[in-house]
Amino acid sequence: MRYSALLALLLSVSSLFASERDATTVEQTNVELKKVRAEAAQIREELAQAKAQKEEAFASIKAEEELLKKNSSMHISVVGQGVAPMNTSSPAQAYALAKRAAIADAYRSIAEKVKGVRIDGQDTIKNMMIQKSTVRTYVQAMVKNANIVETTFKEGLCEVEMEIMISHSDFAQ
Amino acid sequence: MRSRDGNNDFSLRLCSIIIFNSLALHASEYLISYKYIIEDIMLYNETLLISEAMTKCRGKPYDELVFSKSDSKDLKKIISENSEEFIDFIHKLGLHLEHKETTINLKNSSTTTLVLKTTCFKVDFNDNFVKIAPLK
Repeated sequence: MRYSALLALLLSVSSLFASERDATTVEQTNVELKKVRAEAAQIREELAQAKAQKEEAFASIKAEEELLKKNSSMHISVVGQGVAPMNTSSPAQAYALAKRAAIADAYRSIAEKVKGVRIDGQDTIKNMMIQKSTVRTYVQAMVKNANIVETTFKEGLCEVEMEIMISHSDFAQ
Repeated sequence: MRSRDGNNDFSLRLCSIIIFNSLALHASEYLISYKYIIEDIMLYNETLLISEAMTKCRGKPYDELVFSKSDSKDLKKIISENSEEFIDFIHKLGLHLEHKETTINLKNSSTTTLVLKTTCFKVDFNDNFVKIAPLK
C-alpha cells in the first residue's frame, strides 16, 4: 500500500515535469516562429522595394525612349577644342586652322553622345608588374545639320560651341 | 504661192529660240569631295577635290547655295574665292566622321577624319550669281 502510494506520487511528479517541459518547448517554437515570420516579412519588404526600384528604372528608360518616339526633338550641345599648328604664316591662318580642328572635335563629341564609343583595353603584365597599358577608342558616324553657336580663340586655343537637334525622323530615314 | 508674211511665225520662233538659248543659264554638273584630318587636335591635312562630271548625274537638286556677284565660269575659282562659305555649306550637308584614339601608358594620341564622299553638284552659272546644289 505504501509502495503504491509512493509510485503514484512519483508518476504524478514526473507527469508534472513533463507538462512543464512541453509548455517551454511550445513557447520556444512560438518565439522562433515569430522570428522567422518577422524575417520573412522583412525579406518581402526588401523584395517589394527592389521591385519598385526596378519599375522606376524601367519607367525612366521608357520615358527616355518615348522622347524620340513622339517626334519630339532632342537638343545636344557640345564644346570642341582645337589648337593652331606652330608653323602658321599669320594669326588669321592660325585661327582658321584651329577653328577647323575645333569643329572636328565638336563633331566627334556629338557622335560619341549619339552613337556611343567602342572601347578596347589591353594590359600586359609580366612578373606581377604592368608592362604596357593600352586603351583604344573608336567612333564612326555621319553628322549633319550641326550648328555653331559660339567661337572663341584665346592663346592659340580655339573653342567652338556646337548644337544639334535630333528627332526620330532623322533616324527613320 | 506663199505670201511674204507667211514665214513670220516661223522666223519669230527661231529668233526667240536663239535669244532664249543665248540668255539661258549655263548649267553643268560637278563632282566634289572633301576630306580633312585632325591629329592631336591639330589640322593635319585638308583636301577639296572638284572635277567636272564626265557622265550625267542622277538625282534632284536640293539645299542650294548661291554665290552672288560672280562673273567667272570657273567653279574652282569661285569656290576658292568663297571657300569658308562653301565649307560651311558642306558641313551642313553632312560629313562622315571617323575618330580613333589610342592611349598607351597614359600617353594619348588621336586622329579624326571628316569626309564628304564624292557628291554630284548641279552648278548654274549666270551673269550675276552662281547656284550650287547637290543632287540626291
